[in-house]
Amino acid sequence: MILGDLLDSPVVDPGGARLGFVVDVRFALDGPLDGLLAAPRLHGLLVSPRTGTSFLGYERNGVNAPALLARWFAWRHRGTFLVHWTDVESVTGDAVALRAGFRRFAADLPGTPAQRP
Amino acid sequence: MSLPPDERPPGLVLDARLHLLDRQILDVDGVPVCTVDDLEVHGVDGSDRPDGAQPAVVTSLLSGAVLATRVFGGRPPSSRWHRIRWAHVADVGTTVKLGVRGSELDVTWTERWVRDHIITRIPGGSHDPG
Repeated sequence: MILGDLLDSPVVDPGGARLGFVVDVRFALDGPLDGLLAAPRLHGLLVSPRTGTSFLGYERNGVNAPALLARWFAWRHRGTFLVHWTDVESVTGDAVALRAGFRRFAADLPGTPAQRP
Repeated sequence: MSLPPDERPPGLVLDARLHLLDRQILDVDGVPVCTVDDLEVHGVDGSDRPDGAQPAVVTSLLSGAVLATRVFGGRPPSSRWHRIRWAHVADVGTTVKLGVRGSELDVTWTERWVRDHIITRIPGGSHDPG
């Protein structure tokens, strides 16, 4: 699977109702060892209900300056959530369908900005 | 409505668009190779259409001629991508660093071709100017 096929795809709940779009895909470097590093394991999808785009991840990295931009992007991406990959029922060319009983988590990135690449 | 925080995975957490896509790839000598245009993801059993029933991992960084598809939409066919296996990646930071030389990778074949067939035919082009 090419990741570009997943990004910006609509996300639907088990009843077929649209929840939003995949604005990003979260990986964790805790997969099987592949060469010098662990392979990035697909941890979850970041779903934004109102737009198919995200700008610099303002809605998930805790950055609050410049205040005007931070508030604008936080407002624009209100309702963004993380859903685990294990809650994905199927991925087709048209949409990403979630399993019954899927759970939403806060989209915030762990750690401080200085700890991230 | 506030959502519960996610349980922190044990490894470094990377959001594809924020931390990987469009990042510069440097080889083991620090020479720029290309940028990360996309990623290839497989299920751990090798499936190329994984779903949530099985873990999925990044197997390759992809680079290719994406200018036209970014302007006009769509994406290059799978056969047109140049793949750099994740096994060659040595570090992920503001750039993606490889543990191999760029000259050993398929993605740099156009540079080698231009060097061998054009640059070397220009007078003085077959040796280091330094």
